[in-house]
Amino acid sequence: MRRHLIRLYPAVWRERYGDEFEAVLDERPIGPFDVADIVLGAIDARLRLRGRRAITTTGRGTSMSLRIGGIAAIAAGAVWGFALVASAGLLPWVVAEDDQRVQFAILAVGTLALLVALTGLSAFQSREHPRLIWAAFALPAVGTVVSLVGLIGMALLNDAPLVAGVSSWYLFSFGLMAAVVGSGLFAIASYRTGALSRRGSTLLAVGSLFFLPTFITSENQGAPSSIMVVITVVGFSLGWIVLGASALRDVQPATAPRPA
Amino acid sequence: MTPKVPGFGRYAEPSLLILVSLADGPKHGYAIMTDVEAETGRPMGAGTLYAALSRLEESGLIEPLAPVDRRRPYRLTGVGAAMLAEQLRGLSAFAQQGLRQLGEPQP
Repeated sequence: MRRHLIRLYPAVWRERYGDEFEAVLDERPIGPFDVADIVLGAIDARLRLRGRRAITTTGRGTSMSLRIGGIAAIAAGAVWGFALVASAGLLPWVVAEDDQRVQFAILAVGTLALLVALTGLSAFQSREHPRLIWAAFALPAVGTVVSLVGLIGMALLNDAPLVAGVSSWYLFSFGLMAAVVGSGLFAIASYRTGALSRRGSTLLAVGSLFFLPTFITSENQGAPSSIMVVITVVGFSLGWIVLGASALRDVQPATAPRPA
Repeated sequence: MTPKVPGFGRYAEPSLLILVSLADGPKHGYAIMTDVEAETGRPMGAGTLYAALSRLEESGLIEPLAPVDRRRPYRLTGVGAAMLAEQLRGLSAFAQQGLRQLGEPQP
């Protein structure tokens, strides 16, 4: 009787769950309620798994996007923190002011990590709030791509016009502003979903708010005030790091393995 | 408001009961069934149990461990724990609102 009931399920289902399902059925006598429940379960499995050759888990994809997004967010936070401190002239013995290749390389790595972090964390959060998250993802994603193009242009062409008479520097600056404003929007959206650390979202929102004035001041008047640099570095960098750490924490199992 | 996991259709309520059962540690299928039955006083069939388990696993809310004989334990993932906490907070707020409207003292 039990074997016949299990055969009602499709082969791909039996391959994955057959043994443990049979073990559950062996635990107690089967009554009319159980038979009806199993028949309905088998119909559900046949409808759901129609055309599938194997049972795959999207959960693995979710965990992967969360893990990649988390690692990239921590890397982006660390690299941007370093870049912000260096751009304020606080690390002259590490990054010389006239060594543009090193500065470009640091910014490119930080921007690329930011793009990966945004993609991974958005993919995870969008499961519950797709519209809000993808809307918040669009601006910083476009910003990071544009700023990366600007950085590559600066490395190859210096200040020569790159696209429609616009120089690489302006392209980079425009992309960076979009990425920073977008990071602020992403932080607000993340705070609303509550799927990642709200403390990290708050830090990132504050850091994004202070990032632009710090950047503009450093370009126009030399060194920005140290309090602005501190708030920007702590907010923007630590915000991404805390969000990344909370994402990696979510990948871990909630409870220790303790089979019943 | 019925306690349920969003997006799971008619297996939403059993899925939430399974998540609650796994909240205090990994369990295999039969242990989950008996736990849910003890908590709710209603029987949970094996068909319903595995329809819900497969959805929860696909969504990344639970994950299977290595089987012991033929029994395979499942445990809550971090994502699953976060989702369960969010659902339970929603239910708690709903229950408190209901009690307020009834004029009943709240816990």
